[in-house]
Amino acid sequence: MSLNRDAFVAVFFLFLCAVMFTASTNLPPAMFGQMSPALWPRIILVPLALLSALLLIQSQRHPVETERKTFSEWLQYNKNPFFCFLLFFLFLVTMPIAGMLLGGLAYVFLTLNVLGGWKPSQLGLHAAISAVFVIGMWAIFTQLLGVLLPEGEILRVY
Amino acid sequence: MGLFESLASAAPELFTIKTMLLMMVGTMAGLIAGAIPGFTIAMAVVLVLPFTFSMTPVEGLATMIAVYVGGLSGGLMSGILTGIPGTPSSVATTFDGYPMARGGKPGLALGIGVWASFFGGVIASIVLMVVAPQLAMIGLEFQPVDYFSLILFALTVTASMAGDQILKGLMAALFGLLIATVGSDVVFGQPRFTFGIDSVAQGFAFLPVLVGLFAFSRLLGDVRTSEKAHQRLGGNEAHAVHIDYLGAAREVISRWGNILRSSLIGVFVGVLPAAGSTISNILAYDQAKKTSKESDKFGTGAVDGIIAPESANNATAGGALIVMMALGLPGDIMTAIMLGALLIHDVIPSPSFISDEPQIAYSIFLAFFVANFMMLFLQSFTLRGFVLITKVKMYMLAAVILFYCSVGIFALNNITYDMWTLFIFGIIGFVLRALGFPIVPMVLGVVLGGIAEARLSQVFARSDDIMVFISRPWSLFFLLLGCFSLVFPFYQKNIGKMSWTRFFVPALLLVQAVPVFMMPGIARPAVAILMAVTGALMILYRLQNTTNPVAGEPKQSSD
Repeated sequence: MSLNRDAFVAVFFLFLCAVMFTASTNLPPAMFGQMSPALWPRIILVPLALLSALLLIQSQRHPVETERKTFSEWLQYNKNPFFCFLLFFLFLVTMPIAGMLLGGLAYVFLTLNVLGGWKPSQLGLHAAISAVFVIGMWAIFTQLLGVLLPEGEILRVY
Repeated sequence: MGLFESLASAAPELFTIKTMLLMMVGTMAGLIAGAIPGFTIAMAVVLVLPFTFSMTPVEGLATMIAVYVGGLSGGLMSGILTGIPGTPSSVATTFDGYPMARGGKPGLALGIGVWASFFGGVIASIVLMVVAPQLAMIGLEFQPVDYFSLILFALTVTASMAGDQILKGLMAALFGLLIATVGSDVVFGQPRFTFGIDSVAQGFAFLPVLVGLFAFSRLLGDVRTSEKAHQRLGGNEAHAVHIDYLGAAREVISRWGNILRSSLIGVFVGVLPAAGSTISNILAYDQAKKTSKESDKFGTGAVDGIIAPESANNATAGGALIVMMALGLPGDIMTAIMLGALLIHDVIPSPSFISDEPQIAYSIFLAFFVANFMMLFLQSFTLRGFVLITKVKMYMLAAVILFYCSVGIFALNNITYDMWTLFIFGIIGFVLRALGFPIVPMVLGVVLGGIAEARLSQVFARSDDIMVFISRPWSLFFLLLGCFSLVFPFYQKNIGKMSWTRFFVPALLLVQAVPVFMMPGIARPAVAILMAVTGALMILYRLQNTTNPVAGEPKQSSD
């Protein structure tokens, strides 16, 4: 069996189907003549498992030619999305402390620098973009629309 | 209430200064979004959505429709001036718009595009007002089993749009349905697939899932490498010009047949689930080329080549709205977002929606009509500004939009759980897109999953007999259509190469004649007989021409 991209995906979906199907056995049975909570997920899981098996067979019979990359090449290729997700994760994790305003400023500024570069001439532009758009958006939501955005411990007044 | 009385009652709701101003801003936002290559209209509608929370349903929906209409028209600017379509719905516009602009007539090309968009939108809004209430009356015949089959059909069509990747399209649709089962079941409210995490019991709100799957995967795909991240959105070729309105209007009006045909193609494609303006603009262009006396001029700056795609893509919005308003089912991402907006305002579209809430329904129809006039007005003097916007670098846009998405999603329910949902589905969407999975079937699966389960539970509450799926005419109609839509990509791929493709269309007519014949009344059985006779005659004709494998099939365009 050759482990190409589609085979990996098919195995993942088969595993997912197995896990979900097992979890569906813990759901309560049908009551009062109504549909069981497990029925609809099983109706979905059966064809999904069949299609995944079909994809697995297809991946072995007609493997998709993909460019072979070493781990470092792969990491280099996906560097930008990886850092964007990492920064977004940090933005969410620090939300209770930094809040939407400070966290947002840091997140947008760092994302701009990661994607656009760290040259001194760019830093000023990125800082300005962060300030204008984050503070502007924050002001629109909190002042104009009356949405209570997370203020964070740093800026918490009371 | 008749059409005009309903419109008269809705007009005071819509024609307020505040709503008109909001629509102006919405149209402007849509035009800007459409003008930026790579920035989809769906993304613009998503970004506008949080602002509509504090508005009334009419204000919110009118604003979103204005963005939609503006976005559909905005794509023509970058398409004509730079050759890069602002949105996928303007791809065919570049075929003749860009050559005409390069040939020294950019003002005329833009003018033709703007007028064609306007007429396409106006024709579609008239069809919307006339057809949607009629379709809703048919929708009242639908029972839960028919709805369930319609949803299955919508998902198969969406998956089949993936072409060669239909297997992955179907898997994506099923995965979307599976995501929608997480949380609690619709019948008893029992926690389901929470795996011990309490907060998951509330399930995943579909807007964070939708934005995560769609916006993250799209934006991060656009900034994957440093070169792509630093690209200017519209290239360096964009330059400001003045539109030749009068000359363009004369050219467009003299080709009214093309406008009408392309607009109707647009509306028809819009009614089909998941088809959308990406397909309608190319289909209309192809038809315009086939029927034109000057087909050899297509690709070199033909006027008809600009009119057809632009009138079709604007008309598609009307078609998509027809289904959402009449049946309460979204056919594409745009109407899915609008459905979300309606639900936020406690307005639930269904076949009885137009008759129960005529003021809101007809305000939406009117808003679509008015938005086309606003688009025409704003295009006339804001073009220079739009061209400047296309100079923005991709990474700047990506960073700001990702933040904005998170703020907007937080504002939905004021909980950070939705932001985590956004993040997780952002990763899932990005990975699945990278692995070659289409995103749209998955999104529709998530949106339609809850509705499908609710309808299925209603079916089983009434009877355990599963034969009801094929004994009800509408259910059988949609199930058979779903089967044909699954075969459609293979038909499309092998047309003219394999002999069985000659019998696809007649077989469709013959098979579909059965459920249509089962429908009540006289008209529909009569139509069924006509369909069956036509299908049988086509089969006989094609059997007699067995020497030519493509006899009887329309000649395929070489483009």
